[in-house]
Amino acid sequence: MLYKVISRGVYNDFVKSLISDYELIGPKKKDKAVYDFVPIKDISELDTNYTKTTIPPAKKILFPSAEKLITYEINKTINIKSVIEGSQKVLFGINAWDINGMNFLDKFFTTDFVDENYVHRRKNLIVIGMDSEPTETNFSLSMGCEYAKDGFDLYLTELKDKYFIRVATAKGDEILSKYAETSNAKAEDFKEYNKYMDDYRLKFKLNVDIKNFYDNFELIYNDEEFWKRIAKNCYSCGSCNLVCPTCFCFNVKDDIELNLKDGNKIREWDSCMIPEYGLVAGGHNFRPDKENRLKQRYRCKLKTFLDKFGRYACVGCGRCIEACLAKINIAEDINSVKKEVSV
Amino acid sequence: MVLEIKDTNKNNIYVPELAKINRIQQISPTEKLFDIVFDNKEKQNNFSFEPGQFVELTVFGLGEAPFSIASNPANKEFFQLCIRDIGNVSGALHRMKEGSKIGIRGPFGNGYFPYDKMRNHNVLLIAGGLGLAPLMSLIKYILHYREDYKEIMIIYGAVNPESILFKNDIQYFSDRSDISICVSVDNPDDKWTGEIGVCTKLIPRVDFPAKDTYVVVCGPPVMYKFVIIELEEKHYSPEKIFLSLERRMECGVGKCNHCHIGDKLVCVDGPVFSLWEIKNLKEAI
Repeated sequence: MLYKVISRGVYNDFVKSLISDYELIGPKKKDKAVYDFVPIKDISELDTNYTKTTIPPAKKILFPSAEKLITYEINKTINIKSVIEGSQKVLFGINAWDINGMNFLDKFFTTDFVDENYVHRRKNLIVIGMDSEPTETNFSLSMGCEYAKDGFDLYLTELKDKYFIRVATAKGDEILSKYAETSNAKAEDFKEYNKYMDDYRLKFKLNVDIKNFYDNFELIYNDEEFWKRIAKNCYSCGSCNLVCPTCFCFNVKDDIELNLKDGNKIREWDSCMIPEYGLVAGGHNFRPDKENRLKQRYRCKLKTFLDKFGRYACVGCGRCIEACLAKINIAEDINSVKKEVSV
Repeated sequence: MVLEIKDTNKNNIYVPELAKINRIQQISPTEKLFDIVFDNKEKQNNFSFEPGQFVELTVFGLGEAPFSIASNPANKEFFQLCIRDIGNVSGALHRMKEGSKIGIRGPFGNGYFPYDKMRNHNVLLIAGGLGLAPLMSLIKYILHYREDYKEIMIIYGAVNPESILFKNDIQYFSDRSDISICVSVDNPDDKWTGEIGVCTKLIPRVDFPAKDTYVVVCGPPVMYKFVIIELEEKHYSPEKIFLSLERRMECGVGKCNHCHIGDKLVCVDGPVFSLWEIKNLKEAI
């Protein structure tokens, strides 16, 4: 890691150069309070003061909602071609918790079997991080995800009259040196940065006792009443999965053109909350009850991957809390366990 | 983290290998047995699997589904899948003719029947309905190395006499003196002279001592609960009881997550688990 600073005046030119030389994906205002990561053609479109994006930027770029895995042509024989897509892009302005979400997906898609379709896009993505303001449903401080240790090339922190930049890769260093006049961070820059980070962390108001939840999970796992209560209002709609930066479940479909010759295998996001998730041929459903589906989702987010990878599959972004039509609140549910198990 | 990219089509884990259905046998009103050979000779020669592993089979233009392999791993010329006409992919397979092309990925599954550990032990095999298919792979394997194993017994339950699978094999097992087989049907016809009722009730008759017996079980979800009660009654060790689990799978390689049970993935951690491993997993059985 290198620590550099650029002056505030250089920033615009830096971004303009990136836009002219790269396909840059950045935050753009869509609605009153909703932002989306889209291709940016002009710096005026870019608005890094965003608070929330419904669809997580890294997930939709690296793991699109629908993507071709293979194509094939059925003639006398069948020709199968692997589809590995992804041109070089710059992802600009992604915040710390979404970078951590991407880091989870990196680990997930490279464990056991390596998913080349994901990895190829990831390798071609230059990530430039920036802080954004947490919403009132954000509990990423409790999840240890308010700060990104890695997973980016450059991370820009806006200070009074300069940007403090963490340079994590040689690629990041090359881009920064090419497009901006930099200097190495000095002691006073670090001090100012540390002060900023202290203030930044104070903005996270929502806290969860995740350790308590983890420690007591097996205890409440069999408490059917508890899970029924939590899932009581669940519509099994899957909104929480769609907006989650770490959800990775998918279906694979074969799709054939009307000529009955050209076909594709396509993967599409799936949701563990919908009833068909556990349905097999013959009509048996291995997880027919919504409370068991929600329990499995919480287990996946808050236990399974801490045991497997040493990190939670939840970054605390709070998107699912805002997206839930039934007002199911993962932060409240995490905290409610303490009450449940206290004697 | 180091992200590795190997820039060839071979490394795309979703690309199936082209194969041909060499032979189709209708072995019951709803099941057919398919002999499958890879188009690529080298692939066919190198294709090896463990009893209990499964493949992902693609019917091009229609979809992909997981099937356990039913043939002897020692057979290098082809492998067999026993498939019931029940879903989109299996239904399409049943309409296909000999010589048709399909796609195969796999074999998958790190959990398979531990035939090595079973050596010098009695082996009790309990199958319900289509659950006999994955067990056939193990049965044929241990018969291939018969002298390595002590007593072998198969308990098989079917709905009615005509739905009994692998009839020729069952006849062959019955004719052999070094393996015992007991078939029970729920709904007998006039000609049926064998056992009647669920296969679970045959378990108390087994006299294999707990200390040197391995048990393998495969059948419909509802069967496991009752079989396990009977096995525990006989004090068979949970570490020596193995069950093959069925779940919905979209990928077979631990990515799509549909086969998650608690912290286990059936596709990569299974599909065969020891009872000890899944005893505490609420949704497993």
